[in-house]
Amino acid sequence: MANVRFENITIKYGNHCVLKDFSLVVDSGQIMCLVGPSGCGKTTLVRALLGLNKPETGSIYVGDRCLYDAKKRVNVAAEKRNIGIVFQDYAVWPHMTVIENVSYPLKKQRRPKDEIKRRAMHALEQVHMVEYANHLPSQLSGGQQQRVAIARALVTDSDVVVMDEPITNLDAKLREEMLLEIRMIQKRLGATILYITHDQQSALQLCDKMAIMQQDGSLCQYGTDEDIIMRPANRFTFEFIGVSNFIPIVREGKELCLDCGEKIPYTANLPADCEGKEMGVRLNDVVFDRDSVLKAEVTSRIFLGSEYNYFLKLGGREIRVQQSMLDARTFGTVAEGEKVGIRFLNPHFYDRKEAAQ
Amino acid sequence: MSRNMHADMAAVDGRRRINMDKLMTVICFILLFIIVIIPIFMIIYNAFFFEGKFELDMFVTQLTDSKNLAAMWNTLKIALFATVFGTIMGVFYAWLLGRSDIPCKGLMRALFSIPYMFPPFLGAMAWDLLLNGRSGYLNRFLVSTFGLNGMPFNINSIAGIVFVEVSYYFPFVFMQVVSALERMDPTLEECARIAGAKQSTVIWKITLPLVKPAISAGALLILTTSLAHFGVPSILGYAQGIYTLPTRIYAVIYNSGGSFDGIRQGAALSVMLVVVVAIALVLQKKILSTGNYDIIKGKSMRPTLIKLRAAKYPLLLVAVFTLVLIVVVPLVMIVLISFIKAYGLPLKPGNFTTAQYVKVFKASGTMDSIRNSLFVSITAGVVCMFLGTLVAYVVQKIRPKGKEALEVISVLPYSIPGTVLSIGVILAWSGSLGIKLYNTIWIILVAYMARYLSFSMKTSSAALLQVHSSLEEAARVCGASHTESLSDVTLPLIRPAMVSGFFLIFLPAMREVTTSILLYGPYTRTLGVQIYSLRDAGMIPQAAALATVAIGIIMLLNAIVTQITKDKKGV
Repeated sequence: MANVRFENITIKYGNHCVLKDFSLVVDSGQIMCLVGPSGCGKTTLVRALLGLNKPETGSIYVGDRCLYDAKKRVNVAAEKRNIGIVFQDYAVWPHMTVIENVSYPLKKQRRPKDEIKRRAMHALEQVHMVEYANHLPSQLSGGQQQRVAIARALVTDSDVVVMDEPITNLDAKLREEMLLEIRMIQKRLGATILYITHDQQSALQLCDKMAIMQQDGSLCQYGTDEDIIMRPANRFTFEFIGVSNFIPIVREGKELCLDCGEKIPYTANLPADCEGKEMGVRLNDVVFDRDSVLKAEVTSRIFLGSEYNYFLKLGGREIRVQQSMLDARTFGTVAEGEKVGIRFLNPHFYDRKEAAQ
Repeated sequence: MSRNMHADMAAVDGRRRINMDKLMTVICFILLFIIVIIPIFMIIYNAFFFEGKFELDMFVTQLTDSKNLAAMWNTLKIALFATVFGTIMGVFYAWLLGRSDIPCKGLMRALFSIPYMFPPFLGAMAWDLLLNGRSGYLNRFLVSTFGLNGMPFNINSIAGIVFVEVSYYFPFVFMQVVSALERMDPTLEECARIAGAKQSTVIWKITLPLVKPAISAGALLILTTSLAHFGVPSILGYAQGIYTLPTRIYAVIYNSGGSFDGIRQGAALSVMLVVVVAIALVLQKKILSTGNYDIIKGKSMRPTLIKLRAAKYPLLLVAVFTLVLIVVVPLVMIVLISFIKAYGLPLKPGNFTTAQYVKVFKASGTMDSIRNSLFVSITAGVVCMFLGTLVAYVVQKIRPKGKEALEVISVLPYSIPGTVLSIGVILAWSGSLGIKLYNTIWIILVAYMARYLSFSMKTSSAALLQVHSSLEEAARVCGASHTESLSDVTLPLIRPAMVSGFFLIFLPAMREVTTSILLYGPYTRTLGVQIYSLRDAGMIPQAAALATVAIGIIMLLNAIVTQITKDKKGV
């Protein structure tokens, strides 16, 4: 077991600086999800950890072992870093059978033959692929190839396993299953897992800790998933994790108003210093309340199985609402065309986008 | 302290990957420099420089020499006519076999691709036997049957050369267009029919324009091949003093007895030939760029076949006649002559014997030539297979600065006529640079390597593009060194492509004559050269016997290759 420390990493592709002075710690024995939009440098960071590219500055440690240090001129070769990896496209070697794929890392460690066999089979057991041991990858489905890739990453009992968007190519149900499985395997082995994704939903399901990266390659928040959902550090995190409504706040005379085409007074529910900002509210934080001063008209209602999705019209502005089945039972549903009172729970106030940029 | 740091570096061994990549890149550049750049440079240098001084006189003399000008004119005429007729014929038969309901398609397609692997100079030999202006068998038969006054045909003419070249080069267009027709979306044609166009209008206005890129690509191949071609014009033209630039280069060097002056004149002529080929390439590129459609898709669809109705059997007859004329007749002729007691005797049962085969195989040169050809072809194939893969790997995966240059250099020799390449190789490796390979088998090997390198480079390149870099990276992360990741993952994955690259080199090298005719020494004749010189020495039945053996070997090898490549579909 070991933690992973990135310290002041800078990586450039030509003149383009992908990561600048980037630092991050992945705690030992945890699943850490590194979440960020495509192209923000997540994969670049992971490749630096694996030894597939070379940072200009900074150092990388796994536990006490220095893998890379620009100043001390340490750069451990990729094959000697002992990190498990599941690539986005699996990278299962098509000319080797499943068992050959999984045995390969052990073979490279020059282990005795019977040990290789035993441990490879054990790894396959963990991902429920024993009966496919002698299949070629071309005979497997995407999900099965995925499991092979995971087994291969786990087989050497590496302290650290990196998974780079491993489930994006799977269908929704399989995705769910794989996430649960990864979670269970990690609990059993206690390995440190660095999980890369741009999909916050799967990150939430999986992680102990979450790190959010911004488009420019900087780290904008690091914490537990609850922290990040309940207390987003900035507008980027808030917007990136989940869909939200945004309503500008303006002052009209003494009143603070919601700017929805027409200006709706709402002073009583707004903090004093929010003038000129935008109020962000998550879809499931908009609740129906007959007593509220805010009245909106329902333009459409969509039933999604476990929840209702509404499109409301508040003044001239469209408001989206997610109503859980529980709320639907206690409050009742609203039909298209009806007027309904709404209330905003847990609002966040951010600078306007133009101003922020 | 600083020693410590270095020890650290050595221990972690982190920069070896970069060094190995650099090493491969440097090896590529050095080998390509030796194999390709030096010969090409030597031609240009010797054409314009003499004893270290710039000298244009020799070049001007050569350029204004009336024989050379005539040769250039002949080259252009032959190439132009061969291209025009070859293209028309290729397109017509591609359409007939690809889109009409003519019977026996599969068989005919197989037969139509035979000229592709048949060495053209053997075809020229066969036609010379049949239609030689003085003694051709068919000519004499026609004279005696119809009581004619003179020989009705004369294959030893520009028209004759064009005829033979067309019959061996039209498959270039044929094969390109057939595959384009098959990949074309048939709904495009159906739409035109529904919109009210007649069948003939559809062919002219829809089908032909859509396959234009394929036609141009095939036509370009005919044009450049014909411009650089040596075998057919040399066999058919010499007797009548008809020269093309490649045969003229050979004659100049041959007549000078291989002296340096002769080779220099050859170099000057080579520059002219290269200029002509280059102009052709540029022209073609202009024409090609005007018609690029993306409507032809990769997935195959079942095109609607056009009913020929009453024209069906007459057209079938035409196709069969063509096949007989270009495939069966030359083949049969060569085999028949190989069994005749002496050239010129009538083809009667009493005149047949197997003595020619005995003679051919008793002559020491024959087995030597087969051995030489096998040695050079296999060696060139193996070396190019690895070197081409190395270049492809550097270009596709390492991507160093100057990879474009690397790519261009490796395909350059293919667009240079074989005759020209030989002269470059002679100039480079007969002692002027301190290495003397002339008259040894190695000089032929060096020339073959330059000539065929691009074949294996291209197939390996295409295969490497299919191997995602994450496969190699996964191996590295799993604990394989760079070398191990190459040998465990990358190489096994591209092995089928490497094997087919080998055969792409081995097969044409076995029947090669253009390059080796200028490079062979007393003990280093290749199979092609041996046939050529047997014929040149007037031992025509023996030449035919050896040609029959050669054709047998080539067909056998082709069949083996087809079998091997059929099985290699797993990965």
